[in-house]
Amino acid sequence: MASSKKVETRLCAVTFFAKVHPGDVCGSNGLPLTPNSIAILGRAQRLKELKDEHLCQYLDVIRDKHERTIVVSEYLGCSLEDHIQRSSGHHLEINEILRIFYQVAGGLNVLVKHKLVVHNLEPKHILMESDGSRIKLFNYGLHHMTKGGAYVPFPIGNIRYMSPERLMGQNGNIKSDVWSLAMIMVELIFHIELWPKLKISNVARKILALGRSNNVIEKLAREHQCYEAYLAMDKDLRDLLDRCLSVLPKQRPLPQEVMQHSCFQSVVESLARKEPKPDDGKPKPLLLHCPLSQIYHLWQLAGGDVQAELKKEGLIRSEAPILGLPQIVRLNGSSVCPKRSQSHLMDDRVVPLKLQPLIQRLSRLPAHIYFPLLHSPRFAPLQQQFASELQQLPLIIRERDIEYQFHRVRLFATLLQGYPHTAELLQREASVDIPPLLRGPVWAALLDVLPNCSYTKIDKFTATSTDRQIEVDIPRCHQYDELLSSPDGHRKLKRLLKAWVTAHPQYVYWQGLDSLTAPFLYLNFNNEELAFLSLFKFIPKYLQWFFLKDNSAIIKEYLSKFSQLTAFHEPLLAQHLASISFIPELFAIPWFLTMFSHVFPLHKILHLWDKLMLGDSSYPLFIGIAILKQLKTTLLNSGFNECILLFSDLPDIVMENCVIESQKMYEATPKSITHRQHAVPQQPLHPLDIGIGDVQLKHLQTEQCPRISAKDVQHLLMHSSSELALIDLRGILEYSHVHVPHSINIPFATVQLGEQRLDALNVPQLEAQLRGRIVVCVSNIHQHAIEFSNFLVACGVLRTCILHKGFNVLHSIEPNILISN
Amino acid sequence: MATTPRSGGAAGSGAAQRPNGTSQNKSCQFKLVLLGESAVGKSSLVLRFVKGQFHEYQESTIGAAFLTQTICIEDTVVKFEIWDTAGQERYHSLAPMYYRGAQAAIVVYDIQNQDSFQRAKTWVKELHKQASPNIVIALAGNKADLSNIRVVEFDEAKQYAEENGLLFMETSAKTGMNVNDIFLAIAKKLPKNDGANNQGTSIRPNGNETNRPTNNCCK
Repeated sequence: MASSKKVETRLCAVTFFAKVHPGDVCGSNGLPLTPNSIAILGRAQRLKELKDEHLCQYLDVIRDKHERTIVVSEYLGCSLEDHIQRSSGHHLEINEILRIFYQVAGGLNVLVKHKLVVHNLEPKHILMESDGSRIKLFNYGLHHMTKGGAYVPFPIGNIRYMSPERLMGQNGNIKSDVWSLAMIMVELIFHIELWPKLKISNVARKILALGRSNNVIEKLAREHQCYEAYLAMDKDLRDLLDRCLSVLPKQRPLPQEVMQHSCFQSVVESLARKEPKPDDGKPKPLLLHCPLSQIYHLWQLAGGDVQAELKKEGLIRSEAPILGLPQIVRLNGSSVCPKRSQSHLMDDRVVPLKLQPLIQRLSRLPAHIYFPLLHSPRFAPLQQQFASELQQLPLIIRERDIEYQFHRVRLFATLLQGYPHTAELLQREASVDIPPLLRGPVWAALLDVLPNCSYTKIDKFTATSTDRQIEVDIPRCHQYDELLSSPDGHRKLKRLLKAWVTAHPQYVYWQGLDSLTAPFLYLNFNNEELAFLSLFKFIPKYLQWFFLKDNSAIIKEYLSKFSQLTAFHEPLLAQHLASISFIPELFAIPWFLTMFSHVFPLHKILHLWDKLMLGDSSYPLFIGIAILKQLKTTLLNSGFNECILLFSDLPDIVMENCVIESQKMYEATPKSITHRQHAVPQQPLHPLDIGIGDVQLKHLQTEQCPRISAKDVQHLLMHSSSELALIDLRGILEYSHVHVPHSINIPFATVQLGEQRLDALNVPQLEAQLRGRIVVCVSNIHQHAIEFSNFLVACGVLRTCILHKGFNVLHSIEPNILISN
Repeated sequence: MATTPRSGGAAGSGAAQRPNGTSQNKSCQFKLVLLGESAVGKSSLVLRFVKGQFHEYQESTIGAAFLTQTICIEDTVVKFEIWDTAGQERYHSLAPMYYRGAQAAIVVYDIQNQDSFQRAKTWVKELHKQASPNIVIALAGNKADLSNIRVVEFDEAKQYAEENGLLFMETSAKTGMNVNDIFLAIAKKLPKNDGANNQGTSIRPNGNETNRPTNNCCK
């Protein structure tokens, strides 16, 4: 029972209101002021990264209606305040007090390193494990996340523990927290409560009066009738507290100096010994060995709802909106509203979030799901056995299935720990799906990112000529997202963009780079370096040369290839779009320049990029075709105006279908079909490949069908000849002399291409022979191949292409593939 | 490339399609292009004019966006085919594709940004040099709701507009001030009575040299 009680209080929520901006006020740029709750949300993110044994981990910040902010964090045992109240009469021993003193100083010391201060240190915010051995600071980030209280309508900190300088309005010095800590210790040592009956103003007066005293402790002791206890105090300890309660902050020790004080010697020793905890017979549930962030994520998946928990405790009360309507609205716009109800007042109760149902639910899972052993020979079969059935389900369902997500999160967490040595396995697992919780680092791993601290060395601050453009673009970039619209989000995005521009002197900032960066920032909000390096690797992989100052050649080539591939996979649609002059230049530049991040909302981009990351630089082209395909019926029935309007206001694209379609086309397209001279070659060139400079822009623009390399034709012939239909356009004589087995001879000289019907060719069952295959037009006269392939496209023949370098190139294939008579 | 010429024909069919059958009304369509420095409010002006909406965080435009809106002046139905272009200087090379063949242009600047006004002047110069000689140009000083922190004086812009034969208004996409009016003023200034005016109308941007002649020919 005891252990389950401990389990119950691992997570908790607190809530408060952010200050509401007066209605209708705009910032100097004419935009509405950012709500304070959003600013808080942005600032609070970095607190999640603080992980220390003496700090309760922050897990989430949630915005609710009317500027309500909810903070979810770790919780432990009970607070010092509760402990004192519960055990009235049974005072803490001096060595217990020292243990608390030391560990709180330890927590403060970690915060100093992160340039943070607490400023609301009080017994309520010091948590102790039920056996008193471990101490953690709680709610220590309030001052930071509210920008020193600027974003909230209430003061931060309990006045009784406030240092004199804070009462005078000086904030931001950790030494003020040292004072508060010492005041709490004085209370514990003397078994008193400071000024229990005084009003706030009198407490303030008392504290300020301490400033005139040269012995604060003695004065406090006399005021609270414990002068004897004061005299009996250990001299070392009294000396330390004296220094901590120096009126001048600079005379107080830093937390680290406090920790080094001699009076903690025995505490340090006992903490180092790490006494084995008394075993109550029940082992800790396996789930509690997992990181809290994962536990919280699963708790939410399992239906955990923080708002509902707060409602249950009466911390959120909903009222009929009609009760909040103004009674009078004056002509100048100000209004008289009913008094705000009690529910809008500060209530600092801590609401525990129950973990027991989650633990129970996951307890049925075998241990190898909790801790996957990647290198065990039984790894693959065990994983398969667990997940293969679920992997048939749609992604949306998999992402909400708690057991499945738990399995994926644990698996990827292990894979990421082993990265880069696990890169291959990670790639393989990512092709199944990527758990949303770990998407940021998984993408980074898929992009071969290896953090190397290079980001910190890049100048992100010197003003450049690009700054204005970046500054006007950021407030328009994915601003529906709370994180990206927060001031911290803006600052981070600006740093990332400036760093990218600085790191690439050969490139420039094109509008759209902001949208491209946004997903990486969104996923790695607390790890700018990972966001930067992901972008850094992403651009050459998919957008090589796109950010050159003059990128027109690259974009033209890309869009021409897009047209060709559209003709390859969707001949009729390509035909129609060409006939109404609906050229990709008019609609597809934002698609490709931003890899669709400018045209879709974030949640769609994430699923799209999950697959994109696994493909090569040609993958985005297939996404483009998949979008056209999804709108095919509308496009085929529309003229130019309707088409362009459709794309100016891109309708709802079903992302899952789009992803599946693009994946299918990507896999069904031989690599050389996608050849672009500006793409980074994946492998060293083979003599039978299409050479780098072989296909110029003018070729692309005049040839409706893409070219295929002899190497890919050879490969198809050898391994999947049933997927290939080779149309030999040479004369009958040449054909009978030498030809590819099973190729179809249609001498170009004899055909009439006027009628756009396959039947007009008078080749028996031609349609059946071409159906479902890659149709390669082969001739020694290139122009013939072009004209014939255009004819096939006009007839609606799928997957038509032209053999690069014509028939003669086939002679050079070893071993010989030709039949000669 | 086999392209069906759209000029003229589209205007005719527009008249035939009108549901109430008042086909004696004239109908014309005009291609209008918006130009100007980025973040001055080009897309917001169009959005206000076409949909009556205003988005505080209107996304930046990459490449260009296309929208249409139809208005009536007296007995004429005027359909605007609006190309809203990207503002960043780097996208400049795309601009001719959109303003070539346009009958009207709105050059937008932000009244609280002097640079954007200078940029507007550059656009006007370029239009005078490169665009169709009959093009109707309007200058819009946008964000007029922020006139308490203006940098570009009304009179200065007004004078510049008069010297260069431009329509001029200060507009606010946010409040809607003068937005419809500026489009209306353009529509009034555009020649409508002569059917020949529609002959050159091609809503497709005239991109490459190959399809330009096709666009202008008439079956």
